[in-house]
Amino acid sequence: MSNVKMKLARVEKNLSQQDLADLCEVTRQTIGLIEKGKYNPTLNLCIRISKVLDKTLNDLFWDENETN
Amino acid sequence: MKTKQTKGPFQKVDERTKGLALRVIAVMYILTILSMQGIVLIRQLALGQEIERFEDIAVLMVVNTIFLITGFLYYGVIPVRKLKISNILFIYLSIVIIGSIFTYVKYNVVMDLGLSIRQIFDKVIIVIAVTGLMLLFFILFYLLGKRKMEKELEE
Repeated sequence: MSNVKMKLARVEKNLSQQDLADLCEVTRQTIGLIEKGKYNPTLNLCIRISKVLDKTLNDLFWDENETN
Repeated sequence: MKTKQTKGPFQKVDERTKGLALRVIAVMYILTILSMQGIVLIRQLALGQEIERFEDIAVLMVVNTIFLITGFLYYGVIPVRKLKISNILFIYLSIVIIGSIFTYVKYNVVMDLGLSIRQIFDKVIIVIAVTGLMLLFFILFYLLGKRKMEKELEE
């Protein structure tokens, strides 16, 4: 399932996938795959992404519909 | 939260790429070991070569496999809940029986040397001794790994 919340947060911050990737020290492909829901990042990477995008882990990675 | 940096060749590599690289390395490693096993079996059984002619490959393969299993046990990749004497004995006897059957088939069926039980036993004794040492080595590293893990959890 694609991660729309992360994509929206990135766009809100006016960052491209490459910018976010550089800030998180990963490749653009990794960010793209996370947004498409095709790669499960480690908790460390989730925390890095959340910090860069000024969001909490819940804001970006918690899906109420999926867990209930 | 400051995370611990990984040391080694993957220090600056993206976590996804690192995962993929490690998977490829693991597959290639298994293929290499299987190929070496195949080479040893072909040289031994199909070509009927003496052990001296492929000893290096055989030793390398055995040492590699022993280190792989030891690593798995040390880092807890192979889940061992409790060491039971009965399980260790079962594994030991299984390896010895399979080794003995292989030795018998190799000398008396494939190579057709018609060795007596006594002569076969002289060769099987190596299997019995090496298997015992190997299992002791595995148990030692399993216990060391367990102790290390418990220490880390206590910190």
